[in-house]
Amino acid sequence: MTGRSFDERDIHLALDGELPREDMPAYEAWLETRADMRALSARYESDRALLRDALAELTSENLPPRLQEGMIGNERAAKGGHALVLRRLGAVAALCLIAGAAFGFWAGRQQFVTGETLAALDVVGEAVAAHQVYAAEKLHVVEVGASERSHLVGWLSNRVGTKLIAPDLRADGFDLMGGRLLPSGGKAAAQFMYEDQAGERISLYVAHCIKGEDTGFRLFEDEGRRAFYWQEKGFAYTVAGSIDENRLLQLANVTYRQLLAGR
Amino acid sequence: MDGKREAIVREIPGLRRYARALLRDADAADDLVQDCLERAFSRLENWQTGTSPRRWLFTLMHNLFVDGVRARKRRSELASAAAADIPQAVSAPEQNGVLDLHDVLDALQEVSPDRRAALLLVGVEGMSYAEAADVLGVPTGTLMSRVARGRQDLREVLDLVRRRRILKAVQ
Repeated sequence: MTGRSFDERDIHLALDGELPREDMPAYEAWLETRADMRALSARYESDRALLRDALAELTSENLPPRLQEGMIGNERAAKGGHALVLRRLGAVAALCLIAGAAFGFWAGRQQFVTGETLAALDVVGEAVAAHQVYAAEKLHVVEVGASERSHLVGWLSNRVGTKLIAPDLRADGFDLMGGRLLPSGGKAAAQFMYEDQAGERISLYVAHCIKGEDTGFRLFEDEGRRAFYWQEKGFAYTVAGSIDENRLLQLANVTYRQLLAGR
Repeated sequence: MDGKREAIVREIPGLRRYARALLRDADAADDLVQDCLERAFSRLENWQTGTSPRRWLFTLMHNLFVDGVRARKRRSELASAAAADIPQAVSAPEQNGVLDLHDVLDALQEVSPDRRAALLLVGVEGMSYAEAADVLGVPTGTLMSRVARGRQDLREVLDLVRRRRILKAVQ
Protein backbone atom coordinates (compact mmCIF):
# COMPACT_ATOMS: atom_id res chain seq x y z
CA MET A 1 0.00 0.00 0.00
CA THR A 2 1.34 3.38 -0.89
CA GLY A 3 -1.12 5.11 1.41
CA ARG A 4 -1.43 8.01 -1.00
CA SER A 5 -4.79 9.64 -1.56
CA PHE A 6 -6.32 10.12 -4.96
CA ASP A 7 -8.31 12.84 -6.63
CA GLU A 8 -9.74 13.81 -9.99
CA ARG A 9 -6.27 14.47 -11.36
CA ASP A 10 -5.45 10.79 -11.03
CA ILE A 11 -8.25 9.93 -13.41
CA HIS A 12 -6.34 11.71 -16.15
CA LEU A 13 -3.06 10.07 -15.14
CA ALA A 14 -4.63 6.63 -15.15
CA LEU A 15 -6.32 7.22 -18.49
CA ASP A 16 -3.07 8.39 -20.05
CA GLY A 17 -0.98 5.56 -18.65
CA GLU A 18 0.94 7.96 -16.42
CA LEU A 19 -0.09 6.52 -13.09
CA PRO A 20 2.78 4.45 -11.60
CA ARG A 21 1.98 0.77 -11.86
CA GLU A 22 2.36 0.25 -8.11
CA ASP A 23 -0.36 2.84 -7.48
CA MET A 24 -2.90 1.13 -9.75
CA PRO A 25 -4.43 -1.30 -7.20
CA ALA A 26 -4.94 1.48 -4.67
CA TYR A 27 -6.32 3.74 -7.39
CA GLU A 28 -8.78 1.10 -8.53
CA ALA A 29 -9.86 0.46 -4.96
CA TRP A 30 -10.44 4.19 -4.53
CA LEU A 31 -12.43 4.32 -7.77
CA GLU A 32 -14.63 1.49 -6.49
CA THR A 33 -15.68 3.66 -3.57
CA ARG A 34 -16.38 6.75 -5.67
CA ALA A 35 -19.29 6.42 -8.07
CA ASP A 36 -18.88 10.03 -9.21
CA MET A 37 -15.24 9.55 -10.12
CA ARG A 38 -16.01 6.25 -11.79
CA ALA A 39 -18.61 7.97 -13.95
CA LEU A 40 -16.18 10.74 -14.80
CA SER A 41 -13.49 8.27 -15.76
CA ALA A 42 -15.91 6.34 -17.97
CA ARG A 43 -17.07 9.55 -19.54
CA TYR A 44 -13.57 10.71 -20.42
CA GLU A 45 -12.82 7.31 -21.82
CA SER A 46 -15.88 7.35 -24.05
CA ASP A 47 -15.15 10.89 -25.25
CA ARG A 48 -11.68 9.75 -26.15
CA ALA A 49 -13.05 6.73 -28.02
CA LEU A 50 -15.38 9.04 -29.95
CA LEU A 51 -12.47 11.26 -30.87
CA ARG A 52 -10.33 8.33 -31.96
CA ASP A 53 -13.14 6.88 -34.04
CA ALA A 54 -13.74 10.21 -35.73
CA LEU A 55 -10.09 10.44 -36.67
CA ALA A 56 -9.64 6.79 -37.58
CA GLU A 57 -11.66 7.40 -40.74
CA LEU A 58 -9.03 9.82 -41.87
CA THR A 59 -6.13 7.44 -41.34
CA SER A 60 -7.72 4.99 -43.75
CA GLU A 61 -8.09 7.61 -46.47
CA ASN A 62 -5.63 7.64 -49.32
CA LEU A 63 -3.09 10.40 -49.24
CA PRO A 64 -3.94 13.32 -51.49
CA PRO A 65 -1.53 13.53 -54.44
CA ARG A 66 0.26 16.57 -53.08
CA LEU A 67 1.27 14.67 -49.98
CA GLN A 68 2.46 11.59 -51.78
CA GLU A 69 6.14 10.87 -51.77
CA GLY A 70 6.82 11.81 -55.37
CA MET A 71 5.34 15.23 -54.82
CA ILE A 72 7.47 16.11 -51.86
CA GLY A 73 10.26 18.32 -53.01
CA ASN A 74 8.05 19.84 -55.73
CA GLU A 75 5.80 21.39 -53.16
CA ARG A 76 6.26 24.98 -54.18
CA ALA A 77 5.13 24.29 -57.73
CA ALA A 78 2.30 22.07 -56.58
CA LYS A 79 0.94 24.70 -54.24
CA GLY A 80 0.21 27.30 -56.90
CA GLY A 81 -2.08 27.60 -59.89
CA HIS A 82 -4.33 24.76 -60.91
CA ALA A 83 -3.18 22.60 -58.01
CA LEU A 84 -5.06 24.97 -55.77
CA VAL A 85 -8.22 24.45 -57.79
CA LEU A 86 -7.80 20.69 -57.67
CA ARG A 87 -7.26 20.89 -53.97
CA ARG A 88 -10.44 22.86 -53.56
CA LEU A 89 -12.29 20.22 -55.55
CA GLY A 90 -10.71 17.50 -53.48
CA ALA A 91 -11.95 19.19 -50.37
CA VAL A 92 -15.56 19.24 -51.51
CA ALA A 93 -16.49 16.10 -49.65
CA ALA A 94 -14.99 17.39 -46.44
CA LEU A 95 -16.62 20.74 -47.03
CA CYS A 96 -19.98 19.06 -47.37
CA LEU A 97 -19.54 17.53 -43.96
CA ILE A 98 -18.37 20.81 -42.54
CA ALA A 99 -21.36 22.45 -44.18
CA GLY A 100 -23.69 20.21 -42.26
CA ALA A 101 -21.99 20.81 -38.99
CA ALA A 102 -21.43 24.50 -39.53
CA PHE A 103 -24.96 25.06 -40.73
CA GLY A 104 -26.27 23.01 -37.89
CA PHE A 105 -24.35 25.05 -35.36
CA TRP A 106 -25.31 28.24 -37.08
CA ALA A 107 -28.96 27.30 -37.32
CA GLY A 108 -29.01 26.09 -33.75
CA ARG A 109 -27.61 29.33 -32.52
CA GLN A 110 -29.84 31.54 -34.64
CA GLN A 111 -32.77 30.22 -32.71
CA PHE A 112 -31.48 31.69 -29.50
CA VAL A 113 -29.85 34.77 -30.91
CA THR A 114 -32.33 36.22 -33.34
CA GLY A 115 -35.34 33.94 -33.23
CA GLU A 116 -36.55 32.68 -36.56
CA THR A 117 -39.21 33.18 -39.18
CA LEU A 118 -42.58 33.51 -37.57
CA ALA A 119 -44.13 31.13 -40.01
CA ALA A 120 -42.06 28.18 -38.86
CA LEU A 121 -42.53 29.02 -35.21
CA ASP A 122 -46.24 29.53 -35.79
CA VAL A 123 -46.47 25.99 -37.06
CA VAL A 124 -44.62 24.68 -34.03
CA GLY A 125 -46.92 26.69 -31.80
CA GLU A 126 -49.91 25.09 -33.53
CA ALA A 127 -48.38 21.67 -33.18
CA VAL A 128 -47.79 22.12 -29.47
CA ALA A 129 -51.26 23.55 -28.95
CA ALA A 130 -52.84 20.70 -30.93
CA HIS A 131 -50.87 18.23 -28.86
CA GLN A 132 -52.07 19.81 -25.65
CA VAL A 133 -55.70 19.73 -26.74
CA TYR A 134 -55.85 16.20 -28.12
CA ALA A 135 -53.38 14.45 -25.85
CA ALA A 136 -55.59 15.47 -22.93
CA GLU A 137 -58.65 13.99 -24.64
CA LYS A 138 -60.03 10.81 -23.12
CA LEU A 139 -62.63 9.59 -25.60
CA HIS A 140 -61.77 11.21 -28.90
CA VAL A 141 -58.03 11.41 -29.02
CA VAL A 142 -57.95 10.54 -32.71
CA GLU A 143 -60.24 10.82 -35.67
CA VAL A 144 -59.08 7.63 -37.36
CA GLY A 145 -57.67 4.84 -35.20
CA ALA A 146 -54.53 2.80 -35.64
CA SER A 147 -56.64 -0.19 -36.73
CA GLU A 148 -57.09 1.64 -40.03
CA ARG A 149 -53.45 2.57 -40.32
CA SER A 150 -53.07 2.42 -44.10
CA HIS A 151 -56.29 4.31 -44.68
CA LEU A 152 -55.18 6.92 -42.13
CA VAL A 153 -51.79 7.42 -43.72
CA GLY A 154 -53.16 7.54 -47.28
CA TRP A 155 -55.89 9.98 -46.33
CA LEU A 156 -53.60 12.37 -44.45
CA SER A 157 -50.95 12.17 -47.17
CA ASN A 158 -53.52 13.17 -49.77
CA ARG A 159 -54.97 15.98 -47.76
CA VAL A 160 -51.67 17.44 -46.60
CA GLY A 161 -50.07 16.99 -50.00
CA THR A 162 -46.91 15.10 -49.14
CA LYS A 163 -46.13 11.43 -48.69
CA LEU A 164 -46.47 10.73 -45.00
CA ILE A 165 -45.88 7.67 -42.92
CA ALA A 166 -46.99 6.93 -39.39
CA PRO A 167 -43.65 6.16 -37.76
CA ASP A 168 -43.33 2.90 -35.87
CA LEU A 169 -42.17 3.91 -32.39
CA ARG A 170 -42.82 0.59 -30.68
CA ALA A 171 -39.11 -0.01 -30.12
CA ASP A 172 -39.17 3.10 -27.96
CA GLY A 173 -42.32 2.06 -26.13
CA PHE A 174 -44.89 4.14 -27.98
CA ASP A 175 -47.87 2.67 -29.84
CA LEU A 176 -49.75 4.47 -32.57
CA MET A 177 -53.23 5.50 -31.44
CA GLY A 178 -54.25 7.03 -34.75
CA GLY A 179 -54.39 10.48 -36.26
CA ARG A 180 -56.46 13.42 -37.34
CA LEU A 181 -56.70 16.16 -39.91
CA LEU A 182 -56.32 19.71 -38.65
CA PRO A 183 -56.49 23.15 -40.23
CA SER A 184 -53.24 25.07 -40.44
CA GLY A 185 -53.23 28.57 -41.86
CA GLY A 186 -55.76 27.75 -44.57
CA LYS A 187 -54.15 24.43 -45.44
CA ALA A 188 -54.35 20.94 -44.01
CA ALA A 189 -52.11 19.53 -41.33
CA ALA A 190 -51.75 15.99 -40.00
CA GLN A 191 -51.34 14.78 -36.47
CA PHE A 192 -50.35 11.25 -35.46
CA MET A 193 -50.82 10.45 -31.77
CA TYR A 194 -48.83 7.86 -29.78
CA GLU A 195 -49.09 6.52 -26.27
CA ASP A 196 -46.79 4.49 -24.03
CA GLN A 197 -47.62 1.98 -21.28
CA ALA A 198 -47.62 4.72 -18.66
CA GLY A 199 -50.19 6.72 -20.63
CA GLU A 200 -47.72 9.39 -21.74
CA ARG A 201 -48.60 10.77 -25.15
CA ILE A 202 -46.54 12.29 -27.89
CA SER A 203 -47.59 13.42 -31.33
CA LEU A 204 -46.10 14.03 -34.73
CA TYR A 205 -47.51 17.06 -36.48
CA VAL A 206 -46.84 17.82 -40.14
CA ALA A 207 -47.88 21.09 -41.76
CA HIS A 208 -46.93 23.46 -44.54
CA CYS A 209 -44.65 26.31 -43.62
CA ILE A 210 -43.01 29.14 -45.50
CA LYS A 211 -40.36 27.54 -47.59
CA GLY A 212 -36.96 28.35 -46.13
CA GLU A 213 -33.73 26.60 -45.61
CA ASP A 214 -34.05 23.04 -44.41
CA THR A 215 -32.90 22.70 -40.84
CA GLY A 216 -31.67 20.16 -38.36
CA PHE A 217 -33.51 19.50 -35.14
CA ARG A 218 -34.48 22.41 -32.99
CA LEU A 219 -35.95 22.41 -29.56
CA PHE A 220 -39.06 24.38 -28.69
CA GLU A 221 -39.78 24.85 -25.01
CA ASP A 222 -42.51 26.89 -23.45
CA GLU A 223 -43.72 26.48 -19.87
CA GLY A 224 -43.10 22.76 -19.71
CA ARG A 225 -44.43 22.16 -23.19
CA ARG A 226 -41.74 20.76 -25.37
CA ALA A 227 -41.21 19.83 -28.99
CA PHE A 228 -38.44 19.00 -31.41
CA TYR A 229 -39.02 20.20 -34.91
CA TRP A 230 -37.34 20.47 -38.26
CA GLN A 231 -38.12 21.99 -41.58
CA GLU A 232 -37.82 20.34 -44.94
CA LYS A 233 -38.97 21.30 -48.41
CA GLY A 234 -41.69 23.63 -47.23
CA PHE A 235 -43.01 21.38 -44.48
CA ALA A 236 -42.49 21.66 -40.76
CA TYR A 237 -42.34 18.45 -38.75
CA THR A 238 -42.91 18.63 -35.01
CA VAL A 239 -42.66 15.90 -32.39
CA ALA A 240 -44.39 17.24 -29.28
CA GLY A 241 -44.85 15.85 -25.81
CA SER A 242 -44.29 16.59 -22.15
CA ILE A 243 -41.86 13.73 -21.62
CA ASP A 244 -38.17 13.93 -20.78
CA GLU A 245 -36.16 15.91 -23.30
CA ASN A 246 -33.75 13.11 -24.14
CA ARG A 247 -36.54 10.65 -24.66
CA LEU A 248 -38.42 13.07 -26.86
CA LEU A 249 -35.26 13.71 -28.87
CA GLN A 250 -34.79 9.99 -29.36
CA LEU A 251 -38.37 9.69 -30.65
CA ALA A 252 -37.87 12.67 -32.94
CA ASN A 253 -34.72 11.07 -34.23
CA VAL A 254 -36.44 7.79 -35.02
CA THR A 255 -39.36 9.63 -36.61
CA TYR A 256 -37.04 11.65 -38.76
CA ARG A 257 -35.23 8.56 -39.97
CA GLN A 258 -38.39 6.69 -40.77
CA LEU A 259 -39.84 9.62 -42.67
CA LEU A 260 -36.63 9.90 -44.63
CA ALA A 261 -36.53 6.18 -45.38
CA GLY A 262 -40.23 6.03 -46.25
CA ARG A 263 -39.98 8.68 -48.89
CA MET B 1 18.94 9.60 -47.10
CA ASP B 2 16.26 7.30 -48.52
CA GLY B 3 15.87 5.69 -45.10
CA LYS B 4 15.13 9.10 -43.63
CA ARG B 5 12.66 9.84 -46.38
CA GLU B 6 10.80 6.61 -45.80
CA ALA B 7 10.75 7.13 -42.05
CA ILE B 8 9.22 10.56 -42.56
CA VAL B 9 6.68 9.35 -45.09
CA ARG B 10 5.53 6.72 -42.60
CA GLU B 11 4.55 9.51 -40.21
CA ILE B 12 2.35 11.31 -42.74
CA PRO B 13 -0.93 9.61 -41.76
CA GLY B 14 -0.39 10.53 -38.11
CA LEU B 15 0.55 14.08 -39.00
CA ARG B 16 -2.56 14.44 -41.13
CA ARG B 17 -4.75 13.09 -38.38
CA TYR B 18 -3.28 15.51 -35.87
CA ALA B 19 -3.53 18.45 -38.26
CA ARG B 20 -7.11 17.67 -39.19
CA ALA B 21 -8.14 17.43 -35.56
CA LEU B 22 -6.34 20.66 -34.77
CA LEU B 23 -7.78 22.63 -37.67
CA ARG B 24 -10.96 20.76 -38.63
CA ASP B 25 -10.78 22.12 -42.19
CA ALA B 26 -9.35 19.36 -44.41
CA ASP B 27 -7.71 21.72 -46.83
CA ALA B 28 -6.03 23.85 -44.17
CA ALA B 29 -4.90 20.68 -42.43
CA ASP B 30 -3.21 19.31 -45.53
CA ASP B 31 -1.60 22.71 -46.06
CA LEU B 32 -0.12 22.42 -42.61
CA VAL B 33 1.15 18.89 -43.25
CA GLN B 34 2.64 19.96 -46.54
CA ASP B 35 4.41 22.92 -44.92
CA CYS B 36 5.69 20.60 -42.24
CA LEU B 37 7.06 18.12 -44.78
CA GLU B 38 8.72 20.86 -46.76
CA ARG B 39 10.42 22.11 -43.66
CA ALA B 40 11.41 18.60 -42.65
CA PHE B 41 13.00 17.81 -45.99
CA SER B 42 14.85 21.10 -46.02
CA ARG B 43 16.29 20.37 -42.59
CA LEU B 44 17.01 16.68 -42.79
CA GLU B 45 20.43 17.23 -41.27
CA ASN B 46 18.74 18.31 -38.01
CA TRP B 47 17.38 14.86 -37.53
CA GLN B 48 19.59 11.97 -36.44
CA THR B 49 18.76 8.57 -37.91
CA GLY B 50 18.12 6.01 -35.22
CA THR B 51 15.78 8.28 -33.29
CA SER B 52 12.09 8.38 -34.11
CA PRO B 53 11.22 11.12 -36.57
CA ARG B 54 7.86 11.33 -34.88
CA ARG B 55 8.69 13.75 -32.11
CA TRP B 56 10.79 15.87 -34.44
CA LEU B 57 8.04 16.10 -37.07
CA PHE B 58 5.30 16.83 -34.56
CA THR B 59 7.44 19.58 -33.07
CA LEU B 60 8.01 21.10 -36.49
CA MET B 61 4.33 20.94 -37.21
CA HIS B 62 3.35 22.35 -33.87
CA ASN B 63 5.60 25.37 -34.43
CA LEU B 64 4.05 25.93 -37.84
CA PHE B 65 0.61 25.59 -36.31
CA VAL B 66 1.39 28.22 -33.68
CA ASP B 67 2.90 30.54 -36.31
CA GLY B 68 -0.11 30.24 -38.54
CA VAL B 69 -2.86 29.88 -35.99
CA ARG B 70 -4.33 33.31 -36.55
CA ALA B 71 -4.19 33.28 -40.32
CA ARG B 72 -5.60 29.81 -40.50
CA LYS B 73 -8.32 30.66 -38.07
CA ARG B 74 -9.49 33.41 -40.37
CA ARG B 75 -9.33 31.09 -43.34
CA SER B 76 -11.32 28.32 -41.72
CA GLU B 77 -13.91 30.79 -40.48
CA LEU B 78 -14.38 31.92 -44.06
CA ALA B 79 -14.73 28.31 -45.15
CA SER B 80 -17.33 27.69 -42.46
CA ALA B 81 -19.25 30.80 -43.42
CA ALA B 82 -19.23 29.74 -47.06
CA ALA B 83 -20.25 26.24 -46.07
CA ALA B 84 -23.18 27.60 -44.10
CA ASP B 85 -24.54 29.06 -47.32
CA ILE B 86 -24.83 25.69 -49.04
CA PRO B 87 -26.83 23.44 -46.75
CA GLN B 88 -28.15 21.49 -49.73
CA ALA B 89 -24.72 19.93 -50.12
CA VAL B 90 -24.98 18.12 -46.82
CA SER B 91 -24.51 14.39 -46.70
CA ALA B 92 -25.84 12.24 -43.91
CA PRO B 93 -23.19 11.62 -41.27
CA GLU B 94 -22.78 8.24 -39.63
CA GLN B 95 -24.26 8.11 -36.18
CA ASN B 96 -22.42 6.82 -33.17
CA GLY B 97 -24.68 6.68 -30.17
CA VAL B 98 -26.05 10.06 -29.39
CA LEU B 99 -23.42 12.12 -31.17
CA ASP B 100 -22.05 11.60 -34.61
CA LEU B 101 -18.37 11.42 -35.31
CA HIS B 102 -18.23 14.84 -36.90
CA ASP B 103 -19.85 16.48 -33.90
CA VAL B 104 -16.87 15.56 -31.80
CA LEU B 105 -14.43 17.18 -34.22
CA ASP B 106 -16.55 20.30 -34.27
CA ALA B 107 -16.73 20.30 -30.51
CA LEU B 108 -12.97 20.03 -30.31
CA GLN B 109 -12.68 23.33 -32.13
CA GLU B 110 -14.34 25.00 -29.15
CA VAL B 111 -11.44 23.92 -26.96
CA SER B 112 -8.54 26.40 -26.90
CA PRO B 113 -5.66 25.52 -29.28
CA ASP B 114 -3.20 24.86 -26.42
CA ARG B 115 -5.48 22.42 -24.68
CA ARG B 116 -6.66 20.90 -27.95
CA ALA B 117 -3.08 20.13 -28.99
CA ALA B 118 -2.24 18.59 -25.61
CA LEU B 119 -5.37 16.47 -25.62
CA LEU B 120 -4.71 15.18 -29.14
CA LEU B 121 -1.05 14.33 -28.66
CA VAL B 122 -1.75 12.36 -25.52
CA GLY B 123 -5.27 11.05 -26.10
CA VAL B 124 -5.12 10.26 -29.81
CA GLU B 125 -1.47 10.06 -30.81
CA GLY B 126 -0.65 8.14 -27.64
CA MET B 127 2.32 10.23 -26.55
CA SER B 128 3.51 10.22 -22.97
CA TYR B 129 3.23 13.45 -21.00
CA ALA B 130 6.99 13.93 -21.34
CA GLU B 131 6.92 13.45 -25.12
CA ALA B 132 3.95 15.73 -25.62
CA ALA B 133 5.44 18.38 -23.33
CA ASP B 134 8.59 18.24 -25.42
CA VAL B 135 6.68 18.64 -28.68
CA LEU B 136 4.71 21.58 -27.32
CA GLY B 137 7.74 23.11 -25.62
CA VAL B 138 6.14 23.37 -22.18
CA PRO B 139 6.94 21.86 -18.76
CA THR B 140 5.31 18.51 -17.99
CA GLY B 141 3.16 20.05 -15.26
CA THR B 142 1.72 22.53 -17.75
CA LEU B 143 1.06 19.75 -20.21
CA MET B 144 -0.77 17.73 -17.54
CA SER B 145 -3.06 20.57 -16.67
CA ARG B 146 -3.74 21.29 -20.34
CA VAL B 147 -4.76 17.69 -20.92
CA ALA B 148 -7.05 17.72 -17.88
CA ARG B 149 -8.63 21.04 -18.76
CA GLY B 150 -8.92 20.10 -22.41
CA ARG B 151 -10.89 17.01 -21.41
CA GLN B 152 -13.15 19.02 -19.16
CA ASP B 153 -13.75 21.59 -21.88
CA LEU B 154 -14.51 18.95 -24.48
CA ARG B 155 -16.93 17.25 -22.13
CA GLU B 156 -18.77 20.51 -21.53
CA VAL B 157 -19.00 21.31 -25.22
CA LEU B 158 -20.24 17.80 -26.02
CA ASP B 159 -22.88 18.11 -23.32
CA LEU B 160 -24.03 21.33 -24.90
CA VAL B 161 -24.15 19.74 -28.33
CA ARG B 162 -26.08 16.80 -26.92
CA ARG B 163 -28.60 19.12 -25.38
CA ARG B 164 -29.07 21.14 -28.49
CA ARG B 165 -28.47 18.35 -30.81
CA ILE B 166 -28.29 19.29 -34.39
CA LEU B 167 -28.77 16.25 -36.46
CA LYS B 168 -28.31 17.52 -39.94
CA ALA B 169 -29.84 19.56 -42.64
CA VAL B 170 -31.21 17.59 -45.52
CA GLN B 171 -30.86 18.22 -49.21
